[in-house]
This record gives sequence, C-alpha cells and structure tokens, in this order.
Amino acid sequence: MNPALINLLVFGALVALAWLGYRIFGAKDLLQSKIKQEKTLTEDILKQLFHVEESKSKATLDNLAGALQLKRKSIFSVVENMTQSGLVSLDNNSIQLTEEGRLYALRIIRVHRLWEKYLAERTGHQASDWHMLAEKMEHKLSEEQTLKLESTLGNPMFDPHGDPIPNEMGEMSNVEWTPLPSYSLDLPGKIIHIEDEPEVIYKQILDKRLFVGSHIKLIEQNSNEVKFLCEGVEHRFSSIVAANIHVAELNANEIFEENALRLSALTEGEQAEVIGLSKECRGANRRRLLDLGILPGTAIEIDLKSPLKDPVAYRVRNTSIALRKSLSDLILINRS
Amino acid sequence: MENKTENSIVELASELRWKLGDNFHDRLTESLYTDASEIASAAVEMPGKERNYTLDSKIDRIVTSKRWGFPIMIGILSIILWLTISGANLPSGMLFTLLIETLYPALKNLSESIGLAWWLDGLLIDGIYMAVAWVVSVMLPPMAIFFPLFTLLEDFGYLPRVAFNLDALFRKSGAHGKQALTMSMGWGCNAAGVVATRIIDSPRERLIAIITNNFSLCNGRWPTQILIATIFIGALVPKAFSATVASLSVIGIALLGVGFMFLTSWILSRTVLKGEVSTFTLELPPYRPPRFWQTIYTSIIDRTLIVLWRAIVFAAPAGAVIWLVSNIKLGDFTLADQLIGWLDPFGMFLGLNGIILLAYIVAIPANEIIIPTILMLTVANLNLAGFGAGDGVMFELDSTMDTANVLAAGGWTVLTGINLMLFSLLHNPCSTTIYTIYKETKSVKWTTVASILPIIMGFVVCFLVTQFWYLFS
Repeated sequence: MNPALINLLVFGALVALAWLGYRIFGAKDLLQSKIKQEKTLTEDILKQLFHVEESKSKATLDNLAGALQLKRKSIFSVVENMTQSGLVSLDNNSIQLTEEGRLYALRIIRVHRLWEKYLAERTGHQASDWHMLAEKMEHKLSEEQTLKLESTLGNPMFDPHGDPIPNEMGEMSNVEWTPLPSYSLDLPGKIIHIEDEPEVIYKQILDKRLFVGSHIKLIEQNSNEVKFLCEGVEHRFSSIVAANIHVAELNANEIFEENALRLSALTEGEQAEVIGLSKECRGANRRRLLDLGILPGTAIEIDLKSPLKDPVAYRVRNTSIALRKSLSDLILINRS
Repeated sequence: MENKTENSIVELASELRWKLGDNFHDRLTESLYTDASEIASAAVEMPGKERNYTLDSKIDRIVTSKRWGFPIMIGILSIILWLTISGANLPSGMLFTLLIETLYPALKNLSESIGLAWWLDGLLIDGIYMAVAWVVSVMLPPMAIFFPLFTLLEDFGYLPRVAFNLDALFRKSGAHGKQALTMSMGWGCNAAGVVATRIIDSPRERLIAIITNNFSLCNGRWPTQILIATIFIGALVPKAFSATVASLSVIGIALLGVGFMFLTSWILSRTVLKGEVSTFTLELPPYRPPRFWQTIYTSIIDRTLIVLWRAIVFAAPAGAVIWLVSNIKLGDFTLADQLIGWLDPFGMFLGLNGIILLAYIVAIPANEIIIPTILMLTVANLNLAGFGAGDGVMFELDSTMDTANVLAAGGWTVLTGINLMLFSLLHNPCSTTIYTIYKETKSVKWTTVASILPIIMGFVVCFLVTQFWYLFS
C-alpha cells in the first residue's frame, strides 16, 4: 500500500478521534448532570418547587422527576435529606417548601437572574446562550460574590427577560402580566417578559427580533393565532408561541408611539426623528449610540448605503455614522 | 423618636424602589445626555465649519457605488503594492551595497588590523552585524514607501469607506469591516498591522483582527515567495509564461492568506471569543486634502522607525544565534548539523526538510533573513565549495540560477518549493509581531493563541499537500 495513503488514513483517524473526544468531553456535562452532585441537585429541586408553588399547583415526587428529567429513585434520597435538613416538608405525597427552603430557592433564582443580567450587559454572549450559562453559574457564586455582582450591575430589579430579581432579603418586584393571546384588542401595551424556556420557542421569538420593552398592539386574535403590530412591523404568531410573550398596559407616563418604526425601515430621502433606543440595546452598544448623540428628538436620515446593502450610513448631527442592521433595528424613529 | 423617622424613611424608600420601573437607569442616562447636548448646542458656536456635503456626497456616491466601489478599491491597493515592491528595489540595493558590500568588508579589515579574536569577530560582525544590516536593507525601503502612502489615504478619508464597503463580508465571519484596513496594513508589516487594530473599538473584533493579522503576507515574506515561485513554479511552464505564472502563484498565496483570515475569524468568533463584548459603529469622516509633509513625517516616525527599531532589537540576538549554531562543534559536527539531523525526519514528513525548519526557528525575529539563512545552512551542511562566505555568514546569490542550483543540491523538489511557500504564509508571527501582540493585548493567553495557531495550520496544510502529492504521483 502507498505509504502516503497510510499517513493520510492515520491523520484522518486522529482527527476523527479528536472530534469524538471533543463530543464525549462536551457530553461530559450531560453525563455529570445525570449524576449531579447533591448540592446542585438540591438547588435544582428547590428552584423547581418554588416555580410549582408560584403557579399554585402541587409537587409530587413523580412530576418533580419528570420536570428535572431524572429518575424517580435518584431524587428520592436527595428529597429525603432535604426533609431532614428542614428545607422541604412532606404532606401526604405532595412536597412543600418550608420557609427556609423558600428563601434558599430565592437565593438561587437571584443568582441566576443577576448572572443573566450580567451576561446581557457586560459580555457579548447571545441571548439564546444566557439561560444555559446562568444555569451553571447559579450553583457557584457565594453570597458575598452575589452582593458584589448586584452592586456592580447597579442593583437591577429585572433580568433581561423581564423576570424580577429577588433582593438580598428575598423580596422582589410584583409584576402582573397577561399572555399575549389573551390581551385586549386595540389596547396599546408593551412586552414586559419573554419566557426563555423552551428554547425552541424562545429562539423563534428572538428570530423575529421582538424584545422586552417594545410597544405592541393586538390587531386580530382567534384560538389558533394572533396578529399584532410592533414597531412598524406586523407579526403573525401561533398562539402557542405567542403565549410565551407576556404583555402589560402602558404606565401613565408612557405614550404609545403609534407611528414608531425601526431605523432599519427608513428609506433613502426620508427625514426622521429619533424617539429612543430599544431596551434590548444594552451595555457598550447603548453607550456608544448615546455618545454619538443618537438621542430622543435628534434628526436622522440616510446618507449612504454600502454596495452590499448592510451597513447603512446615517447622517446625524452633521456627521455620517454607519450602523449595521442588527443595531439600527434597536433605534426607534418617527418619520417626519 | 429620631430612630423611628429614620426607619420609616428607609421603609418608604424600599417601598418606593419597587415602583421605579425597570427602565429608570436608562431614562436617567438618556436625560443626562439630552441635557448635555442641549447645553452644548446653546453654548457652542461652530463658525464656518459646516461640512461640505455636496462634494463629499459626490465622492461618496462614486467610491461606495455598487459598480465602482470594488474596482476603485482593488485598483488603489494594487497601485500601492506595485509602488512599494518596485519602488523599494533601488533604495534596497543601495543600502545593500553600502551596508553589506562596503561596510562589512571594511569592518572585517578593521577587526583584523586590531587583532580581534576570531570568535569575537565572527559573533559580532558575521553574526550580529550581518543580521541587523540585512534586516535594515530589506525592510526599511518598502516600509518607508508603504506606510506613508497608506497614511495619506487615511488622512484623505478614503480608508473608512473601504471598511464601509467591505463590512458585509467581514460581518459574515464575525469580524469588523475595519479589519480590511488592518489586514492591508499587515501586507506591509504584521507588527504595524497589529498596532493598527487600535482603530477597531469593539473588543471581540479587535482580538480577531490581532490574531488573524499574521495571515497577511508581509513585506518580509514577499521576496521569499517571489524567489521560490520563480525557481520552482515558473520552471514548470514554458519560459514565455514563467514570469506570469510565478507572480500569479504568489498572488494566489496572498489570497489563500485572506481565505485563512476569514476562516480563522469565523472559527474564533464562534468559539473562544464568543463571550467578548462586540459593538459596531463606523464614522465616515469628511474628506479633506491630506497634510502631505506632516503625514510623511508622522508615518515615518510612528510606524516605520518604531517597527524597524523593534526588528533590529530582535534581529541582533538572532544573528548571534545563527553564527553560534554554525560554529559551535559537538564532536565532528556543528550544532547546526546536529539540529538539522534531528529535524530532518519531521521536516521530510511534512514535505519540507531539516534546514528549512531550523532556519524558521533561528530566524523567528525576521522573515527577511529566511532565504539567506537557508542558503548558508545548505552550503555549510553539504560542504558545497565555491558558495558563500564561511560558516554562520548569511549570503544571497546574484543569480536566481545559482540559488536554484544550491537548493537542488540540498534535495529540493517542486513539492519542497510549494510547501515552503505555504509554510512561509502559515507559520508563527515574527518575534517583533509576537511582542507587539503582547503589548497590545496585555494577555499571555491571546499572544500564545496568535503564535501557535498559524504554525499548527502550517504543519497540517503542508502535511496534507505532501501526502496527497505522493498519493497522486
């Protein structure tokens, strides 16, 4: 046989092996989650119980195992230990959080939501990765680190999905929202929360670039789907997807911008005025736009389009600034 | 009583806090900015500074148009590269004559007349002086032409338009449009290209630009590529076409570098650099007549001389090492022969040879001295009579034919030539660039990634080319 062929085959085999090793190494996380350490498992159970109690239903060993995707027997001993240490109490077959357990659960949720806020504000991770990364971090941060994180983020009250963040005492903002399909027709509202689980649905919402803070108006609804207007674009969603978008009425000091549209929708030759930046425009990007003077009331128009269409240069305050579509989607304007 | 009021205030505050709403911070900063801009527009007058939009737009409509944008860009870049390569020949030759053909023998005579020990004479003059003189004469002229031209375009305001035109391509690989500029700057010198990444204000895209700058074939590598392409690729076709084919193959290598740059950017932005902050805004400044003399002065001081100085600092010890490995004897063989013997099997396996690998190790400081080092090591290793100036003294041959003969004697084939061209594109950055990367990133981690990544790619690419070559021949 040709020695070159042997060399190539050996090389190919090594690459395949490395890839396999990577997959197994990557899958190690999965493997570990099956034999999760007791602490992690305890905290996951507490969190799950908290969510079950929030939704006013009851938890049994069976539906707990189902929700956490674990075998019944593997959580049984953990729950037993938790009963002994006074975190949960058993009351004919249903598991309940004690006051101590409830506070513990709130601490975990607090770290999770603070970390999501951190990822959104201070890193470049994509929105679809936040949840998974926070799932890992919530078991790691100490109380002291959490406090430090909270104060560097400016004591935020909500995470990037719109969920309230508990404070040190376990208190949090009480928000009321309505799932989009059951919101009233023609009543201006705003998205205040987007559920990040299940991921498939969350990604579908992200793809349409709908964000917490955007104003919306329902135009049509029936049992299968909803049609609504958001920042100058008409969307049509199935009710299952739309149910993961939660809306509330506008505050007294908020004005519904009927004609608001995204800067990316502006066409050449049109004049416009900036209304503001979307809440989704965060951290470094937000500061950069403010530094450039893209503020409410600023006049803006298209200066140039690049030969490949994106980016587009806009004329603002006597300068020409090129922005990519992903960013100009986050600037709201009014045609003038 | 006092305590009671204090407590009630705290209670009231924490109660009210929940009613603040979640966009309180955003509103606050926004209103600060709005106030500031109102105060500024009321207090600041800008007499006569109204931007000349009509002329600017006219130029912009042309240089960013679908039809003319890209041809103009490619045209200007070709002119700059042509001016650099052809314009540098004359001053390079003059420096070479002065430093190596005149000053070097004079120094040798001087050391002989004062009776300097042979090893000190060898180490200082044959080793250190030679390497520094070589780097200066090959590196200085092209940089002194390339950088001022580039800076003039920058000053005129054209370069941001290039970034604007090309951003869509770079966006797809997770990079910033301005990387087009740092990449072109890298064709002059990678160290200068790395410094130039300061224009990219987004942390993630800047790191990508720094790590991938080495894929721009720099000034120090063009002569190697042209020489090897002429000897090995040009010889494959009839004489009438050989010059054209050779230059096309060098352009091919440079374009391959661009391909690797995009590929690596894509991989980096999706793996190790995923979590770094990323932003994109690009200001298109007004055009203005370039300030000619000021530009020439600053580009020579800021770019050319600083880079040259760093290169000299690194070339001097390299010269010493090159001389030492060729002159220190272990038993019957020099250190160089020993090292070549050890490296040869691995080199052959990759389709290169031990001499090439040793040359790339000792000549890390400067790509310019690769060919002279290879020639010197080949002649010394094979004991070829009639070439060169002694062990450890780098040299170049006047005719391409002679060089081809020496390399053929060293066992080079077309495959070795092709692999050397690929390896010259894909190997670790020179030590000046590595040091600059460290200075710019202040991170051992990213410096290591930037240094190791290309050489691994080089090994893999040469290996695959070699094995497929053997498979089909």
